[in-house]
Amino acid sequence: MKEFKRLLVVLFLLVFTAVMASCNLGKTTEESRKSMIQSVHPHPTAIEDKNKNNHEKAEKIKKEVESLPEIYDVAVLKGEGDTLVAYKVKHMQRFRMKKIEKALKKRLESKFSDETFVVSSDYKIFIEAIELKQKIKEKKISKDEAEKRLQKIIKFQKELT
Amino acid sequence: MAKKNKSPEQKRYQQIEQKHELKRPVVKNCIKAFFVGGTICLIGQAVMYFYMYFFHFTEQTSGNPTVATMIFFAMLLTGFGVYDKIGQFAGAGSAVPITGFGNSVISAAIEHRTEGFVLGVGGNMFKLAGSVILFGVFSAFVVALIKTLLQIWGII
Repeated sequence: MKEFKRLLVVLFLLVFTAVMASCNLGKTTEESRKSMIQSVHPHPTAIEDKNKNNHEKAEKIKKEVESLPEIYDVAVLKGEGDTLVAYKVKHMQRFRMKKIEKALKKRLESKFSDETFVVSSDYKIFIEAIELKQKIKEKKISKDEAEKRLQKIIKFQKELT
Repeated sequence: MAKKNKSPEQKRYQQIEQKHELKRPVVKNCIKAFFVGGTICLIGQAVMYFYMYFFHFTEQTSGNPTVATMIFFAMLLTGFGVYDKIGQFAGAGSAVPITGFGNSVISAAIEHRTEGFVLGVGGNMFKLAGSVILFGVFSAFVVALIKTLLQIWGII
């Protein structure tokens, strides 16, 4: 019984430190928190928001991606050069993740030949895309900073270790 | 190998033995292992999401800290004597996930503590887990070799 109590104390301390550490690190939005357990359908966003064409294009890209039956939640972030497409794959289709990624990239590049696409099914990239979208929407971040952040996410997506 | 002919007495004994032998509850054990193993994996998934959400880890890179954390949890539970009970109840359900590997390392370390730190703990820590590491590394090498050859030949 004594040992069990000690175990409880240790576990409590662990959880407490983890929670405290995460509170400091994560300045997260509600949408990204929700995206953990449900689909959130984030609005497609363009960093250069004065040009209406950019928005329309981002929306078209989102519709194109959503037309794939294996995909159920899509975040599109259109930067100056690159367009980030983060998506979630239906659970039973996750075995075919690489094939879906290839097919999606090919499809997007053939439909929108003047764009460069970075596609990712990684959940972390999805969260980062939502967070950046929110910052752009609330105008908490300048255009240059947003572009830099987008490039950082793209670089982050390529990391393997 | 030739089958040994059994004497009538031995045959009779075997019949009696079979009558009294308890049947292994395979299905029940499987269900227990499924649920307990599943719960351990669920905790692992939660830890993985935690690392992905609050730290800079992607789905690919968050595997390593998750494994380390799960082994750490198993280490604590083994030290406090809880993991033994889980193991008794769930069998393979607690041995197959990475926590089972952690348990085998820590329990060996605890067992040989009295023999000293170097020859006791150090020498015996990987008594059981050593074979896991050896065959893990070897099979990874073989798979990597096959993949490299297939890539060179242009099959994949």
